[in-house]
Amino acid sequence: MAHPSQLGFQDAASPVMEELLHFHDHTLMIVFLISTLVLYIIVAMVSTKLTNKYVLDSQEIEIVWTVLPAVILILIALPSLRILYLMDEINDPHLTIKAMGHQWYWSYEYTDYENLGFDSYMIPTQDLTPGQFRLLETDHRMVVPMESPIRVLVSAEDVLHAWAVPALGIKMDAVPGRLNQTAFITSRPGVYYGQCSEICGANHSFMPIVVEAVPLEHFENWSSLMLEES
Amino acid sequence: SFKLLGILDIQNIPCARGAVLHGSAASILVGLGHFLATSRVKRSFDFGVGGFMLTTLGSWFYCRYNNAKLRMQQKMIKDGLKNKVMYEGTSLDPTRK
Repeated sequence: MAHPSQLGFQDAASPVMEELLHFHDHTLMIVFLISTLVLYIIVAMVSTKLTNKYVLDSQEIEIVWTVLPAVILILIALPSLRILYLMDEINDPHLTIKAMGHQWYWSYEYTDYENLGFDSYMIPTQDLTPGQFRLLETDHRMVVPMESPIRVLVSAEDVLHAWAVPALGIKMDAVPGRLNQTAFITSRPGVYYGQCSEICGANHSFMPIVVEAVPLEHFENWSSLMLEES
Repeated sequence: SFKLLGILDIQNIPCARGAVLHGSAASILVGLGHFLATSRVKRSFDFGVGGFMLTTLGSWFYCRYNNAKLRMQQKMIKDGLKNKVMYEGTSLDPTRK
């Protein structure tokens, strides 16, 4: 999960996020090399004694600084498009969950088999127990079976929201009157945190998302318990 | 963690440290070699930087390609192990004669 002063991504918990991390490393190396080159050129320009005022054109360098950026952009675009299409693959989900955004909480509905639905409110800071995370914990988590493709249908009941979980590489707008679909597979069990990512009013920062990935047996026990409680 | 130019986390990005080290070594060799051959300081620096960029890029792509192949193989092995555990001894076991 996120830690203080963090600059980079969180560890990947889904295959798509792993791909995004690797693509980011690839692009960052290209950016690093370009930055090194530009830095060197700046130093060279500042320290040169050459001052020819009559250089009007040079076909060779113009070709180089046109073709090279085009090649670099292709090197970035190809893996990027690959991941874009990977994210859109039809993956035959085992479970469909509806995530509805409200002011200011999320509600989840598991309606594949039984009618299970519950609200997920942030736990206020004064009610946290030691070890819990401020502004991130919720009273009810969205529990999912691990290593199973899950489809999430995201919408909203009032204003725009966005359902985001960085560790899974997911962000999807919750638009009233519209159903957006996203899917994920968690590679490992764990608890993954996210926060609402579209400004939605006074408590926009206080409606977090918690996804808990557990083995299937635990998920079945949890869903039976939730059905009994509701 | 330490980041080169404030952006490149060479400790945690796979292949980054190797690529930068290979690039640095090549840069020193090429730059020094050019200087010893021509005694032109500025041009040797240009060659050094050019050598750094090309070698870093080459080492990076070579290492990342092998890394990606390894990751694919690891994914296939992981799925294969899961399937083996699930289907071993059943009628769907492909190794069953």
